[in-house]
Amino acid sequence: MAAFQLFLVTLGKTTPILLACMGGMISELAGVINFALEAMMLTGAFLAVWLAFVSGSPWLGLMGGALGGMLIGLMHSLACLKFRTNQIVSSIALNLLAAGATGVLLNQIFGVYGTSPSVAKLPTLRQCISESLPFVDNGPAWTSGEISILAPLAIALSLLTMAFFRWSVWGLRIKACGENPLAAKAAGLPVTLMRSLVVLTGGALAGMGGAYLSIGELSAFVEHMTQGRGYLAIAALILGRWKPLGILLAALLFGFSEAFSEWLAVSWANLPHQFFLALPYLVCLAVLTLQIGKTRPPSSLGRL
Amino acid sequence: MSIARNQHPIIKQLEPLVATLYALMAGMLFCIILAYFLGTGSFELISAIWEGAWGSPNAAAATLSKLTPLLLTGLAVSVAYQAGLLNIGCEGQLTLGALSAACFALTASQLPRLLLMPLTVLVGALAGALWTLPAMWLRQKRGVHEVVSTLLLNYVAIYLADYLARGPLGDGSAMARTAEIPLESTWRAVCSVGTIGVTAAPWAALIAMCLVHVWLYRTCGGYEAGACRSNPLAARAAGIPVNRRQTRSFLLSGALAGLAGALEVAAVHHRFYAAFSPGYGFDGITVAFLVNNVPGWTWLSALLIASLRAADKWLQLALGISPSTILVLQALLLITVASRVRLPVPGRTRRRSLLGHLFGYPEQTRQ
Repeated sequence: MAAFQLFLVTLGKTTPILLACMGGMISELAGVINFALEAMMLTGAFLAVWLAFVSGSPWLGLMGGALGGMLIGLMHSLACLKFRTNQIVSSIALNLLAAGATGVLLNQIFGVYGTSPSVAKLPTLRQCISESLPFVDNGPAWTSGEISILAPLAIALSLLTMAFFRWSVWGLRIKACGENPLAAKAAGLPVTLMRSLVVLTGGALAGMGGAYLSIGELSAFVEHMTQGRGYLAIAALILGRWKPLGILLAALLFGFSEAFSEWLAVSWANLPHQFFLALPYLVCLAVLTLQIGKTRPPSSLGRL
Repeated sequence: MSIARNQHPIIKQLEPLVATLYALMAGMLFCIILAYFLGTGSFELISAIWEGAWGSPNAAAATLSKLTPLLLTGLAVSVAYQAGLLNIGCEGQLTLGALSAACFALTASQLPRLLLMPLTVLVGALAGALWTLPAMWLRQKRGVHEVVSTLLLNYVAIYLADYLARGPLGDGSAMARTAEIPLESTWRAVCSVGTIGVTAAPWAALIAMCLVHVWLYRTCGGYEAGACRSNPLAARAAGIPVNRRQTRSFLLSGALAGLAGALEVAAVHHRFYAAFSPGYGFDGITVAFLVNNVPGWTWLSALLIASLRAADKWLQLALGISPSTILVLQALLLITVASRVRLPVPGRTRRRSLLGHLFGYPEQTRQ
């Protein structure tokens, strides 16, 4: 049973990283460096709570999360594609902006510092099943662990993205923008417009990842609640070599190392707890070290 | 970068100054907009920032004490950037530099003062430099961008330092800090502003800044590092060992960040404690990019960011608005300046900047 519990926690920890990483992947496949995943997640987490607080519906909150990510995506694409800012610097500025702005807005809107008042949570998988299929008594056994509905949705979304990039023409066209924008332009594609739209979509995905943190796992916004998960997502992107399946595996690895370190912290309480906090980052560095050969990012990544 | 190639050299030299003034003006504008959203007067907001940073002798001393680490981390970022690298890991390098400096001073306390004081600072710089090596190895052998590896190393360094300060290296109290370093290894105050003594640390940082500037623009080594940024292929063809030059610049960058931590320990806090840096490493990026990564002008942007940072608590006290406002302001400044720096892309648009029109050579003399 412990193994099963560990698996469920792994899925839960994977979800935000997977969503953010997918968002980062599609934007980097189109050739725009997206280091602002942290900002997208944080803004998404905040707007999700705000909308859920105002409307009372967690589903509207989820939409708010996507909108928050898109807002940062809009700023990123404006700065990078219109004003030709260095894409990493723009991302760093946006990360700073999101950290500051969520703090200021938390104080302005809710009048508190640190943690927002609690709001309605997204339903769990078991709740969804028992609602839509009333004849299934209390849900099947495998839903007995509490897992948010967003976790299976995230995995479905990642499979969808995989199919999109493998089989659709538009997937190929987006990749063309990242590999050789001049050729794409010569083929008649609106490269800049496509890149902006892709960054916006990526922002929506990452924002949903943030919404998972605030209204899927918890039910409130906590300042700086992403705690570097956006950066882990970028590491997962490199580890997964800009390929959807690889990214799914890499996100699962990070989710597992987070879940495993939580489990270890309970069973091996005599080890220092900072070790468990640092474990996901250590695993990431270790895997980056052990990987064979060099990774190859999209050829025109970061170039206009 | 925004100014065309063949402009008067003095104008080119002064470009960072212009960028900072531009940032100041943009900052004023953002203050007015922010004040509108926060429901305070815009004049009140700007004067509260001034008041918090330079309003009293004690406030000025606090601002000056923030200047040293910001100047050094800003220098660290710009040294790496001038070699074509981005060092986001200053936070971790600073933390480990501070921790090792404190540990060295505690273990080698029987050394004479003349040896102990400089060695403490040097050990901190060395630790910062060593912490950049894994990032360089990952970049050159595994193709992992240094931005990602230095970021991950930040987290590892901060948790490691946290553990060490609470456990094996702590002073036994529940405060998560090391014992106080011996008096022989600390920097003494040379003058006092208000009731707070100011040590020579800001001067040391300024000297480091001048040395780095001269190294970068007046020596062969600095020229080779610059070539690695502007055209790595040409540099390699000209026989410059690009990887080794970049490693050297990155080591220097880490050493500067470690130096910032060591100076904080030796001149200000006299011990290491958990959560040592309030974000100096990340602010270094803003400091460097505000002046277009020219080391010699870092003092100006460091002064600006130090003033903003020192004012954040005062905003809460005087106006009752969140101290995070400063973060927003800083982010807006960074993105404005970064956007301006790249506005005219060489080879695409031939538009000249306003300054170019006013002070540059006439259009005909362009080659």
